[in-house]
Amino acid sequence: MDSIVILFISGLLGLFAGMSKKPVASLFIASFGLIGAGLAAYYRGSYTSPFSSYAAFVPTQGIVIILLCAVTLLALLGGFKRYKNDDEHTGDYFGLILFSLCGAILMAQPGDLMLFFIGLEILSIPIYVLVGIDKGSSTSAEAAVKYFFTGSFASAILLFGIALLYGATGSFQLIEIQSNLAIGIWQSPMAMIGSLFILAGFIFKIGAVPFHFWGPDVYAGASNAVLMYMSTVVKIAGIYGLINVFGQVFRDSYFFWIDLISLLIVISMFYGYITAWKQTNFRRLIAYSSIANAGLMLFALADIHNSNIFLFVGAYALATIALVVINLAVNDDSDALENWEGIAWKNPMIGIALVIALFSLAGIPPFAGFFGKFSLLWSAAPHVPYTAILALIASVIGAFVYLRLLILALKRPKVQVRMQLSIEQMIVLLLSSIASIGAIYFI
Amino acid sequence: MALILLPLVLSLVAWLLPSAQTRLFGLIASALSLAWSIVAVCYFKPTDHLLVDFGLRFIRFSIDSLGFTMILLTNAVFFLVFLSQFTSNITQEKRFTALALLMQFGLVGVFTTNTILGFYIFWELTLLPIFLILYWFGSFEKPRALLQFFLYTLLGSLAMLLAVIGLMHATNQQTYEGLLVADLNVLGNTSTLLMGGFLFAFAVKIPLFPFHTWQAETYTKAPTAGTMLLSAIMLKMALFGLLKWVLPIFDGVATDFWRWPIISLGLIGVVYGAIIAIRQRDIKTLFAYASLSHLGLIAAALMLNDFDTNQIAVVQIVNHSIVSIGLFLAAGIIELRLQTRNIEELGGIAKVAPRFAFWFAVLTFVSLSVPFTAGFIGEFFLIKALFSAHALTGFIASTTIVLGAVYMLRAYQAPMFGPTKIAAFADLHWSELIVFAILSVAAIYLGLAPQCLTDFVAHSLTQPTH
Repeated sequence: MDSIVILFISGLLGLFAGMSKKPVASLFIASFGLIGAGLAAYYRGSYTSPFSSYAAFVPTQGIVIILLCAVTLLALLGGFKRYKNDDEHTGDYFGLILFSLCGAILMAQPGDLMLFFIGLEILSIPIYVLVGIDKGSSTSAEAAVKYFFTGSFASAILLFGIALLYGATGSFQLIEIQSNLAIGIWQSPMAMIGSLFILAGFIFKIGAVPFHFWGPDVYAGASNAVLMYMSTVVKIAGIYGLINVFGQVFRDSYFFWIDLISLLIVISMFYGYITAWKQTNFRRLIAYSSIANAGLMLFALADIHNSNIFLFVGAYALATIALVVINLAVNDDSDALENWEGIAWKNPMIGIALVIALFSLAGIPPFAGFFGKFSLLWSAAPHVPYTAILALIASVIGAFVYLRLLILALKRPKVQVRMQLSIEQMIVLLLSSIASIGAIYFI
Repeated sequence: MALILLPLVLSLVAWLLPSAQTRLFGLIASALSLAWSIVAVCYFKPTDHLLVDFGLRFIRFSIDSLGFTMILLTNAVFFLVFLSQFTSNITQEKRFTALALLMQFGLVGVFTTNTILGFYIFWELTLLPIFLILYWFGSFEKPRALLQFFLYTLLGSLAMLLAVIGLMHATNQQTYEGLLVADLNVLGNTSTLLMGGFLFAFAVKIPLFPFHTWQAETYTKAPTAGTMLLSAIMLKMALFGLLKWVLPIFDGVATDFWRWPIISLGLIGVVYGAIIAIRQRDIKTLFAYASLSHLGLIAAALMLNDFDTNQIAVVQIVNHSIVSIGLFLAAGIIELRLQTRNIEELGGIAKVAPRFAFWFAVLTFVSLSVPFTAGFIGEFFLIKALFSAHALTGFIASTTIVLGAVYMLRAYQAPMFGPTKIAAFADLHWSELIVFAILSVAAIYLGLAPQCLTDFVAHSLTQPTH
């Protein structure tokens, strides 16, 4: 609760500070807000639902809030160059992102399905605006409209699922739904269809197959600065929400949905990586890579008692943010992959961060991505062994997607052009590299 | 502890130093690691296990006598590579020095780690530096060959990762000692599958016959230093993994299942590699196929899992490192001086560069397993072991001596003594001379007194139960 209040207030302050035409002021306010929210979550450890009448099913774990705040902080710092230049909207970025983060926190650890739905909407609506914030660009407008319509549709399906579940169990509170389902109600068609509809809503949010179509277009239409936020925080919030709802509430129907989830994992990974292979546009490549990674995230559902997703989503977020920051720094206007040729030579920090981020995404030790994948597969392998094998095969393809990008970026240019990174970009790249290496201490 | 972390620290220092000092720094850094490991081995009792723990849950280190041998070998290889490349452009590059030292750290980690997951992590850690070294300093016009190398290695590694996860789940153990105690025979076919995962990774790395296709092209197009590192020490990871981890742990049903398939593949590699080597014109490609042939023999003999053979296999592993550094260095020297590696364009080098011809000849003889060299001890006893397993395997294995003589003498004779086709050839630089001398002395010393090595490693090789 404290975290959400802090975030909301700092979001408001950041919004108004934007009017002062001093972007740094907004950045400082937002950063202090995020750090404060993280600290509040750390010292509270866990807290009960913000609305006291809705009993929390799972007390929100501080670690999720800290992760969300840290990732958002990196995304804000990384995108600052863009917000600064967009002086008409500087404050809006900070305000919208922090408001959206409030929704993400509500959504990640729901105690109540209504509250969860509200969280999801609070998360989504600012992002619809952020995607379309570049009013002059037609791709941006197209992306915003597309995201808005598909997103509303997904919300409607989710809401329908919640309604069906309410019909089956007579409650919105997860703890009551669970105890009602446990006595056999989950076999009723209403509950089954309801849970599938809820699953569809989640799958849309994390962007896995089969509800992934919005991904590439929206990612390509959004600016790099917004992409950093929406490709990480939304997925983290979505997957944590999914684990909490499915791992707890629907745990009695585990064998009903686990085969479906396995299928989605395999299709998402193969589809995402194979399609990413031929992309010529960086943001589309990130979009397909994120579809595959969303598939991997679903592994967390295989072992509902011990889902070990923290390292994986952390590693994914760090690496994706580092890559998008690099793209923002060197290639913000055109977004074509061919401009990536030789960029590792422009600045040593770019080179190091790039190698670490891509190897981390490819899942090669000793970087965070490997430990994330390992801890996921470690708990999932005994439950879904064949899916794990197929996922590993798919990740070989994935490794090639990232290596192709790496080879492109490491190619030695004929004329070496040095470029300076701004201080906040340096900080983001440095932090993400250090964290990707330091993850070895967390397993 | 310093033994393990020193290369990592030196690698970080190499990034920070000014480029002008890089060349000297690489040499000093590798000499420092080597000196440190020599001092450490003097204080080490072969029956001991040095435990090193950094407080990580999945990675711990324990150095036994086999591990020490491999550390010494690693550090010596890196020192020799830096020394032999002292005059070449590659050691001027900060990136090469730092990456090579990082790779050294990974290799030392592979040879000393005590947990199965640590083994996998360090195994993969070596992949990053070698990939970058090959990409930046190799002559890959298209990344296809490089990607092929990577694809093979990665597929192998992922099979191993699955096997590691499966093994840890099945036995609930992760340390070497724990896995040794665990009885995998009760798992039946599962243990066979798990061992298959490891063997696939090793077969790609060694490489064994059908998985070798990445090797020749990668070796040929890699820079000399990269080829030396790959063949002299990186491939030894797989043999080490077989010797230290897989064979003792899977002793029983799984090993019995895989023994003859792997021996067959190894022996096919022996003959096939040799025959292809005979047909090669490019001297570096020739040595690459020779390497396939020699390593196939070691892998086949290791699968017998016999205590005495395992000791000799260590001798042969060390010997192969010596030979491959020497031969790829010779190929590199020829290429550097004459810009060609084609045997048919070479001839009469011995007249202008007698010192080079002499030392190259010594290494050629070591490779030919002439008595009083380590090669003789290694190959003779490995072939003997294969004979006692089955007459046919022994016979096929022994063809390596005859076929080896054909391709090695061809590779040596034509460029050195053939009709003069070259204009000028600068004789050995002092740094190259020292490398050749060290290699030759080591090979002959091991040939005369192999027991100093076999007795040392015997303490950490487990006595098979059957």
